[in-house]
Parts: sequence; structure tokens; C-alpha cells
Amino acid sequence: MIELLKLLGFTAGDINTELPRVEKAFGKVGIIAGDIEAAKLRLKKYYDMELEGVRKAFRLCILEFVNSVLAREEGKKIIIFGFMIPGFETIGHVLMSKSREVYAAHLSWSFLLIMGCVFGKLEPILEAAEKKWLRAGAVTHCANLKTLLGIVDLGIVPRPDLMVTSGFMCETAPKTLDLLHELYGMPVCCWDTCLDRGPEDSSETKDRAGNLAKKNLRRLVEIIQEIVGFQITDDMLWEALEARSRFDDIISKLQRLIHSSDPLPLSPTHDNLWMILSCLTFSNETISDAIDTAVTLYRELQERVDKGLGAVPKGAPRVLGEMFAHHADPRLEHLACEMGIAIVVATAASTIRLDRTNKDPYEAMSVAWGGSHSTGLIQSVPMQMHVCKKMNIDGVLERYHAGCRTVAGDALVIQNAVKKELGIPVLLLEWENFDPRVYKHEEYKRRLEVFKTMMTQRAD
Amino acid sequence: MEETRLTEHLKNRPAQLKEAKKDGAKIIGYFPGNYVPEEIIYASGAVPLCLIHGGNPRPADAGLSVMPQVICPFARAQIGERLLKENPYYDLIDMLVAPVTCQHLKKVAEIWEYEGKLHVFKLGVPHQHNNDFELEYFSDRLKALKNRLQSFTGNEITEEGLRQAIALYNRMRRLLRKISLLRRTASPPLSALEFIKLNHASFYADPVFMVEVLDSVYHELESKQAYASTDTPRLLLLGPNIGLGDYAILELIEETGAEVVIEEICEGIRYYWHDIENKGDIFQALTRGYLLDRIPCAFMRYSTRERLDFALKLIDDFNVSGVIWYELQCCETYDSEVYYFTEKMSERDIPVLVVESDYTTATGGQLKTRLQAFVEILKGVV
Repeated sequence: MIELLKLLGFTAGDINTELPRVEKAFGKVGIIAGDIEAAKLRLKKYYDMELEGVRKAFRLCILEFVNSVLAREEGKKIIIFGFMIPGFETIGHVLMSKSREVYAAHLSWSFLLIMGCVFGKLEPILEAAEKKWLRAGAVTHCANLKTLLGIVDLGIVPRPDLMVTSGFMCETAPKTLDLLHELYGMPVCCWDTCLDRGPEDSSETKDRAGNLAKKNLRRLVEIIQEIVGFQITDDMLWEALEARSRFDDIISKLQRLIHSSDPLPLSPTHDNLWMILSCLTFSNETISDAIDTAVTLYRELQERVDKGLGAVPKGAPRVLGEMFAHHADPRLEHLACEMGIAIVVATAASTIRLDRTNKDPYEAMSVAWGGSHSTGLIQSVPMQMHVCKKMNIDGVLERYHAGCRTVAGDALVIQNAVKKELGIPVLLLEWENFDPRVYKHEEYKRRLEVFKTMMTQRAD
Repeated sequence: MEETRLTEHLKNRPAQLKEAKKDGAKIIGYFPGNYVPEEIIYASGAVPLCLIHGGNPRPADAGLSVMPQVICPFARAQIGERLLKENPYYDLIDMLVAPVTCQHLKKVAEIWEYEGKLHVFKLGVPHQHNNDFELEYFSDRLKALKNRLQSFTGNEITEEGLRQAIALYNRMRRLLRKISLLRRTASPPLSALEFIKLNHASFYADPVFMVEVLDSVYHELESKQAYASTDTPRLLLLGPNIGLGDYAILELIEETGAEVVIEEICEGIRYYWHDIENKGDIFQALTRGYLLDRIPCAFMRYSTRERLDFALKLIDDFNVSGVIWYELQCCETYDSEVYYFTEKMSERDIPVLVVESDYTTATGGQLKTRLQAFVEILKGVV
């Protein structure tokens, strides 16, 4: 265990204080000695553990994982953000900065990384959910939600005092919360808006979805205040937004460095790590760890770029990956990398910018997260074309998350548009962003080979 | 007699609409789910048409060229109907009003909007409405729809026109309600298939004509009512969607000797359980009628309990002994909800049969065998 923790970036001091907690948490989720050994091998195979920044990133994820599992027995009130609730780490940041008695986190992300990517043991969690209402089969329920439901059903995490989700881009998440409420008696709340913009909308009306999101967010914060017993002021929110934006800026800078370098300095297996890091909940006290992690990694990668070192050969075909890298399984990204394909950018990984001139933090958050994105194909397709041109993309890996109708419904339209307008190859891959069981090595290998050949021939 | 008149009317309806278009009328299509007030469209002088064709695997299959298999067959069928150009109604529409309901239909609207061949108005439907600001949002969007229709048709929508439209559609809802309630009797005077076909016709027929037909049908059926009880198991049909043409499940149920006596279906069936209040502020009344005072679809927040309670009430009111849960493949909200419904029905000893369809599977022998076994169980229960 100690060897694993060292590999995951724990210092000797950390190990002294955290080892009993880690052991307890791992025990609760069923991690045994064999899993520890397997995890060390997986980490070395799929991730660049030589980089201090990568180790530090894993450390932060492990800490959140352990905190989630032990929150109740450590006497905390628990606010869980289930599934998609963009930006909610800001409110978590306020809660955790104000009180040590409150634990707030996005639940699934650290679980997906640790149980999926590190230990390869997500299956029992997914299967537990499938025995409930998120069954397996053609319906194709989202495995992110399965993870959430499985964790709750197996009692891996204590029952929260409030479970929150956003719902405007997904109905399964609010429905799952509704059923958690009905069947488990769990207090739940949805943060909603309405994505109903059309091209006819003038700029004055563009913010109506943001305004609805703002009112919903205020209502949600009122509910949270009642549970935690203290007030969340605008100043607290701004402080958290500022603190987090420093972190987000470095993460964006890091992503830009990776995406603009040839050769690609780091395997795309790590793309998922940045996304999860961005969703971890910190406090005023712990945000410096996060910033330090990102700065360390940036420095290390800059050195690699300066030396011309990369995870794939220089000149490798540059691929735009739709959606994030797999959240629970690094194998596809690893395979692509081994085959000399550079997945340089994931479209969904763009950071949403806050308007810092806005005086109302609720408005700033809501317009950024609830109002200004996902306005439909009419905007997303041209954006896609723009990214492809700007990044000199040779092909698009359209790995659409079948469990999400919002994403899956766009896939064929994007494929057709890219082929028609840019003439570059598109590999359409129906998969599940959160379920490692979908991975089909031989099939993916064959398809990636053809994809690479098409890109290379086109370049020649 | 009325059936013949209605069939004839529907047969001629596309040609009538083509003529109306030539004379400058606009045809406004909208998606089902009962979140789009036809009254506003009608009051603009345009013709409202609810796009509800489903059940035919060919359009759903054609839709696969634009949408993947994980999008429900009804949504894919909407795309397919316009691609195949064989359904006159889908070619006639000048504008689409797309309520922001489930992700499947929302995606159809986005694709049509992206293609640019059709004007699309997305009608924002707040998925929770416990607060005034959510009701206000919907009310504002209805007003925006009114403005959009005015500029699109060039006709002013007056308060008087809206009130007349509400009165007309209230008559239609009331008649459908009265006809539906006739099925509470021991021997219903019309089958579910007949009722659903009537209901579907109301989305395409001229509403004034439809009201006349429904009125005659009601009086005809009222006189035919029989009160003798039979041992035919009485069923409640629950689910997300019954498209026009998606009748195989109902035909199979009839074949197996059971009878659907009442349905609670979100999309495809006109919601008729209450009228729209036709006094006071019109947009507030429409907001209440179309959003607040109705049984929510499954995609609405915190809707599960309310929907279960309504289903249980229907079971009592219509003396139902079993439930058929008919869902379309890949409809993730209804598929989640069925777990809860089955559990709660089981606590009350109400058998539930879950049937899933992608428009190719609801006709097979396997389904017939399942239905037969279910009916046998019910006969034992009855």
C-alpha cells in the first residue's frame, strides 16, 4: 500500500497522516492486496508516473475519494453533486472553506478514476445499478449515473444530506435523483434551466436561459444554506470563483500547451485527469495544492516540449477527439497513442469563462454554465469546424457517448458535416464514456489502423 | 356513419391543406407531449398539425442516416418521415414548434433547425415549476410564440381569437374526456384502439369538423353502453408514446382476449383530462393548463410519485386488473421509471407487463406469447 501511495504522489508526511484513512476507505470499497499490485502495473502502463505533476494529480483524486467514503464517520454533513452539475465545485469550495463540518463533492469523478482507471474494479458498481433502474441492454443508460447509483446502493458512500444535479442537458440524472428520493428517502434538488435558444434570438434575449438558471441556482443555494446552517454570501462566492479561476487558468494553459505541441508531449490517457482535477472540490486551504499540481505539470511538460520529446512521434496524425477521454478506462487513448495517433484535443474539454465584470456571482455562474453553451447544432457544428482548422486536425475521432442523447444525437450530423466541409476522415465510434466493459481491443485496433491509413494517405 | 365521414375527411385533408397553403395559410407542425397550446397557432389563422406518425419501422430506419440507434424510434421516425417524403403532412409544414421536452425530440428540432429548410421555434418548457419564476418563464415563451406566429403568418392574434380557439379546443377535450369515461362501464362501448384512433384524428382533422364528429360519436356510444360484466381482463396502458400507426400492441392485446380500458401516455395522445380556463389572463390560463394543472410527463422533475398516484387512480376508476407498460426502446426516463412503477404496483398485487418496442419487435410471436401468459395470469387474478 505504501508503495502505491508513493507512486500516487503521497509524501512521507502524507503517508503518516493519511495511511489509516486510505486503508479504511479502500477496505470499505473492497480493495484487496491483489488490487494494489494490479493498480501499480496499470498506473505505470497507462500514465506517465515519472512526472511529479501527474503523481500529484492522482494524490488529489485519491484524497477526494477517501474523503467521500469516510465523510459521515468523520462527522460531516454531506452535499453530493451527482452527475452533471457544471461549476458546482465553486459552491463546494465555499462550503468546505467555511466549515470543516461540511463535505461537498462531485461524487462520480474521483470514483470513476480510482475504481475504473486505477483499480479496474468498476464493474460491481455498475452491475449494482443495473439491478436497479439503470438496467443493462439496448436502452443504453449512462454509466456515469450507474456509477452514482451503484455507489449509493452498495452503501460505499454514506447517504448524503442533499444530492444535487443539473438537468438541462439530461433527463436521466434528474430521474435518477427523483427515484433515489422516492426509494431511498434521499433529499434531492435539481438545478435547471431551459436550452431553448434559436438563431432568431437577439442578444437581449440570449440571457433568458441564464436568468432562469440564476433563479434556480439561488433557490438551490437557499436549500443548501438550510442544510449546512450558515449563509453563503456573494463575497464568499466571488472569493471561491477567483480562487478556482486561477486554477482553471493554469489547467487551460496546460491543455493549450499539450494541444499545440508536436510531438504531443503526453499521452491522451491523461486528458481525463485534467477534467477530473477541474471538478474536484477544494477549499481556500487546499486550492494551493491544486494550483501547485498544475504548475508543476506545466513546467515539466514545457521542458519536454523544449526538448522535443513526446508520447507519439513528431508529425503523427493529429486527431480531434469528440468528448472527453474515457473516464474509467484509459485503454482506447493508450491504444491510439501506441499506434502513433495524436489525439490532440477533446472538444468537450474547453473551459467555460466567467464574466468577472459581472457584479452578481449567480448571474456570472449561471450565464457561463447554464446559459451560454449547448445552444444546438447550429452553433456547435461551425465551432467544430473552426477547432479542426485552427488545430490543423487530420481526422476526427467521433467517440460519442451513447448513454447521452444530447451528445449521441449530434454525432452523425457532425460526421457528415466534417466529411463534407473539411474532407478529413471521421472515425465514428459508439461507446460509453464511463463504462470500461465496452472496450473491444481488436475491433478498435483494426478501425484505428484504417483511420490512420486514411489520414496518412490524405496527407501524402 | 361518423367513422366514414371522418375517414373521408382525413383522406382529403392533405389536399385541403395544400389548397389552403396556396391561399396563403401557414401549416404549423408541432411535437406531441401536450406542451404546445394549439390555441395560439389556431388563433393566428395557421393550421396546427401535431407530428405523431410512428410505429412504421421504415421511417425510423431512414432516420438512422442522421441519428444513431440510441435515439428513440419515434424521434427517428420524425426525421425519417421528412427524408422519405412519402407522408404529405410532414412535407406540408412551414414551421415547427418544438417544445423543449425530452432530449430525443429536442434533437430532431435541432437537426431540422441546422438543416435550415424549416423555421423552428423552440418553446422552452421548464422541467420543474414549483416557483412563480418558472411559470412566468413558460408564460413569456408562450407570448414569444404568439409574436413569432404573428410575424410568420402576418396575422394579428387577438384576445377574442384566442378565447374562441380555447373554447373550440375545450369542446374537443371535453368530448374526448366524455367518450373516454364511457369506458369505465363493465363493457366499454369502444375499444382502446378505436379511442386512440379518434384521439389521433383530432390532431390532423379540421378542429371544427372534429368537434362535430366527436359530438356525434359520443351520443352514438352513449346509447350503445352496456353494463353486463364480462371476464375480459381490463388493462391500463402506460408509457411514453403511441404514434399514429403504432397500433400493433393494441391489436395483439385485443387478440389475446384482454382489453385496454384506459391509457396514460405522454406523447401521441391528446391530453383531455381538464379544460383550459377561458377567463382572466389568457397566458396565465394557458400556462396553468399546459404546464401546471396536468399530469407531468416522466421527464419532468419530481414527477414519478405524481404519475404513480394518477395511474393508481385510473386503476381504481376504471376497475383495472393489470398494467401494460409500453415503452419505446432507448427512452431512458420511462425505462428508469418502470422499475419504480413495477415495485409499487407489485405491493398492491397489480401485475405489470413491460413491453419494449423499436417498431420492429412489437409484432412478433414472442410478444404474443408473453401477452397470452399475462392475460392468463390476469384471468386467474380476476
